[in-house]
Amino acid sequence: MIPQSFEYHVPRTLEEASRLAAQFGADGKFLAGGHSLIPMMKLRLAAPKHLIDLTCLRDLAYIREEGEHVRIGALTTHFRIESSALLKEKCPLLPETAREIGDVQVRNRGTIGGNLAHSDPAADWPAAVLALEAELRAVSPRGERGMAAKDFFVDLMTTALASDEVLVEIKVPQLGHGTGAAYAKLHHPASGYAMVGVAAVIALRDNGAVERAAVGITGVGPKAYRAFAVETALHGKPATQAHLNAAAAHAAEGVDVNADLYASAEYRSHLARVYTRRALEAAVKRARAAATA
Amino acid sequence: MGETTTQSSPIGARVPMVDAVDKVTGAGKYADDLTLPGMLVGKILHSPHAHARIRSMDTSAAERLPGVRAVVTGAETPVKYGILPVGHDETIFCVDKVRYIGDNVAAVAAESEAIAEHALRLIRVDYEVLPAYFDPEQSMQAETNLIHDDRPHNIEREYHHHFGNVEEGFAQADYIRQDRFDCPEVTHAALEPHSTLARYDAEDGTLTVWSSTQVPYYLKKTLAATLQMPEEKVRVIKPLVGGGFGGKSEVIPLELAAAVLARKAGAPVKITYTREEVFLANRGRPRQIVELKTGVTRQGKLTAVEARIIQDGGAYCGYGVVTILYSGQLLNAMYDIPNVKFDGYRVLTNKPACGAMRGHGTVNTRFAFEQQLNRIASVLGLDPVEIRRRNLLHPPCVTLNNLRVLSYGYPECIDRVVERSGWKEKYGKLPYGKGIGFAGSHYVSGAANPIIRSAMPQSTVNLSVDRQGGVTIFTGASEIGQGSDTVQVQVVAAELGLPLEQVRIVAADTARTPVDLGSYSSRVTFMAGNAAIAAARDAKRRMLQAVARAYGVAEEDLLMEGGRVLGRNGCPLSLTLAEAARLAAGPAGVLTARGSYNTPEESRGGTFKGAGVGPSPAYSYSAQAVEVTVDPETGRVTVDRIVVAHDCGKAINPMNVEGQVIGSVWMGLGQALQEVVDYENGRIKNAGLLEYRTASTLESPPVETILVESNDPEGPFGAKEAGEGSLAATIPALTHAIYDAVGVWIDTLPVTPERILRALQEKQQAEWKSPGTGARM
Ligand SMILES: Cc1cc2nc3c(=O)[nH]c(=O)nc-3n(C[C@H](O)[C@H](O)[C@H](O)COP(=O)(O)OP(=O)(O)OC[C@H]3O[C@@H](n4cnc5c(N)ncnc54)[C@H](O)[C@@H]3O)c2cc1C
Repeated sequence: MIPQSFEYHVPRTLEEASRLAAQFGADGKFLAGGHSLIPMMKLRLAAPKHLIDLTCLRDLAYIREEGEHVRIGALTTHFRIESSALLKEKCPLLPETAREIGDVQVRNRGTIGGNLAHSDPAADWPAAVLALEAELRAVSPRGERGMAAKDFFVDLMTTALASDEVLVEIKVPQLGHGTGAAYAKLHHPASGYAMVGVAAVIALRDNGAVERAAVGITGVGPKAYRAFAVETALHGKPATQAHLNAAAAHAAEGVDVNADLYASAEYRSHLARVYTRRALEAAVKRARAAATA
Repeated sequence: MGETTTQSSPIGARVPMVDAVDKVTGAGKYADDLTLPGMLVGKILHSPHAHARIRSMDTSAAERLPGVRAVVTGAETPVKYGILPVGHDETIFCVDKVRYIGDNVAAVAAESEAIAEHALRLIRVDYEVLPAYFDPEQSMQAETNLIHDDRPHNIEREYHHHFGNVEEGFAQADYIRQDRFDCPEVTHAALEPHSTLARYDAEDGTLTVWSSTQVPYYLKKTLAATLQMPEEKVRVIKPLVGGGFGGKSEVIPLELAAAVLARKAGAPVKITYTREEVFLANRGRPRQIVELKTGVTRQGKLTAVEARIIQDGGAYCGYGVVTILYSGQLLNAMYDIPNVKFDGYRVLTNKPACGAMRGHGTVNTRFAFEQQLNRIASVLGLDPVEIRRRNLLHPPCVTLNNLRVLSYGYPECIDRVVERSGWKEKYGKLPYGKGIGFAGSHYVSGAANPIIRSAMPQSTVNLSVDRQGGVTIFTGASEIGQGSDTVQVQVVAAELGLPLEQVRIVAADTARTPVDLGSYSSRVTFMAGNAAIAAARDAKRRMLQAVARAYGVAEEDLLMEGGRVLGRNGCPLSLTLAEAARLAAGPAGVLTARGSYNTPEESRGGTFKGAGVGPSPAYSYSAQAVEVTVDPETGRVTVDRIVVAHDCGKAINPMNVEGQVIGSVWMGLGQALQEVVDYENGRIKNAGLLEYRTASTLESPPVETILVESNDPEGPFGAKEAGEGSLAATIPALTHAIYDAVGVWIDTLPVTPERILRALQEKQQAEWKSPGTGARM
């Protein structure tokens, strides 16, 4: 319950932060909301010698609209996203997802950047950024780069970020005409994380057929993933119940499904299919509403 | 012992607990809050093996580590102990063998926790690993590598009871049903982890132990025995306790380890368990397999019940012999069953020992029985409430197995729940996915027979009235959050006609308070309550006598009311309590009074083997209706509402009784829906409160409590048990509601979504094979 002792650093600039991280290498860790890292340190699952606190980099906490995108600073808390009027209008999937995270205290402290960088296999944000086909932007002493969400999650709690790279922004394309999105989550009875969490984005053609489907699933495998098989099954098909059912059946295909005391792999796969269907249904409903709006 | 009370009586008053303010402000002290100068930290080395012989042990490196002040091992502490005289099979530290992962091998006292932990890593133990037993039904077949050499087939105890004649009973039955129920192990999960502070005074050879215990008296006896000290040199003090639920109702290894370390180190030692160690110490509700056979007539009248029960007790006896007996004995005293047979096996396995947990021994049997009764009702097309009404007891009565039942509020509990829950409008009539279920349960108000048989009263209370009229209760009874202190203050205040503020209480300090056997088997209100009333009456009598003598009036012309001694029948006298107390104190200078309680001979049960467990001076009763919503696609259950009626005899403090009843229901909910101690080869996989998920306020439905007051003729002001009896009914009422919602019966706990889903799938397949035979949809 008591973490290993460490040195604490408060960089004033982003450059200083990534320089420190480069200097400490594997011994250093960024600290954002601390709601994943500190528990890990208390359990001694993580024992960084140097903590580099990012929370003073206040200009990394923002939500703004820029052209066809909404840009969210990595240090933006779950709560700010949940309560953002701009997002409720431009990208309601994000507030909808934020609402499902932990409790009020967690949402007040935890950040979207920390959540993504931590990449817990049952965290909620990964599903949303996958389905939204967001771009994740990072800065290191080598400069800035962007990564597609589908390339960001590498393995169990492993991302494409280098150890000296600071995740700075989540850049989300706005949904077009006739597009709907939804997040369906089953809370894990013990942790409150996702037993299964499915984010779905559906764009419908004027004739009611699926133009584009993007589905991000968390909680089911070692990392959050795009359910490409579900997407392909829907592509070009009319969004009927039968097609949604058939597509959802592919939700856990090819995934090494998690098992724990609360759900065997078999049951979790079943839940993935049920919640995928539910997310698809909700997204289609919204897409239809958006088309007629 | 009931007595009419005046309007301002504290009996029946919704008063906050007398220790509530200290608990809320943090001023109150729990064991882990205590410190002493020069105090050391104790840590215990636990076995990494489920079953192994200790070939040798080397503690020299640990002893040499700077900051280490004492290391103790089994070689120094060979005296066997156990809570039951028939089950002395534990030693403070293992002497020759370890019997479960977590067994206690050695302990260290050091100047800091870090040093103590380091020292543990320096202790070298050479183990010869033995084959281990994890499943009770397999363990019962064991011929070799027995867990205890003197327990053939790893059977701790078996009992075979037969009352009436079940063969004849089944012959009279129109319908006989047989089912197998499997209830896995669950544990107390009290918020406060166990903690003990021990100080040994080498000058006068006295030992003082502050511990989070429900049983200071038994702890004192066990400390003296295992440390081989005279009992009068041992003092046990119980500070505030943050929940027990049975997990602190026997001697827990850390209590003895802290004392041994303190004596050896010559300095005070505190040990507080980590949460994982709390799970390893266990003493939870054992896994229980119930094979139950019940016969009924077409009208639903019970003709015979036969139960074969196997309990997985873990590596030591603990309360095990009592648990297995309760599981059979309390098949009775709820319904009128003319023929009962019980075969019970308490089996040893290489896992942490089980023990007493809220509803001790009765919960899983009650689940099985009530569930089977509901299944029978549905097959016979009878209303589940009606089948219960057709099998009620007719007290006062003595059951086949010699349990005496006087007060019996169960019929009223049933009626009130039926009415409040809207049972008639709902059962079988809600839309698919929604359901309501019904069940009942009962429990003892203390065991009529003490653990160690003797003529000593179950509970004794001393009372002093100071020269200013302040009253102090000295009681051995142990407040563990259930309201023990508050109840005693209330009954004494009521007897003496005083405001509560005028009554203080000193409790659970073996050097200052007389013996009460402890907080287990729901005995405190009944037994310590009666003892407190007796002490108050003794004080009252002494004061009235003294006043009568001083003023030359007849004692009958005096009464005590509103904190004064008043004359009646034309006698104009009016004295304050202080004046009366000073008169009664006389040349002794102080007024002391005392009272005690022991169970009446008639309540102590029969003489057959095992007859001692089950008898109680009074039984509480509970009926419940649970409403649920089931998502048939995922098997998820949401509990929407619970209506519970509990017959507590008389609610001395309705607020507190309601709290106890709701707490019981919550614990039942947790066991029904999600709790299970999950083992893999003897290792607990979920030894933490995040992983072992109890029901919390978050998932709690509205629980509506109805208090039924059957006024027990022997209870204090008519009161009986309130803290345990409502737990058991929650489980079968909930599974019944699931049946009502989606048409499947689940006989294995917990009722996880996955189990429900599987049952639904099986049901669907069965219906595809034989269309038209399914239950209602
Ligand atoms: C009780 C509780 C319940 C929770 N429930 C949920 C839930 O239901 N769903 C859910 O999704 N999450 C849940 N969480 C996790 C929560 O959302 C965390 O806040 C989040 O996962 C991590 O964000 P943080 O800002 O706290 O990051 P930290 O804990 O500070 O950091 C996490 C990791 O990310 C790294 N990191 C942080 N910021 C950056 C950055 N900008 N660039 C690079 N690396 C960075 C850190 O070095 C660290 O390795 C819960 C947490 C708690 C304590």
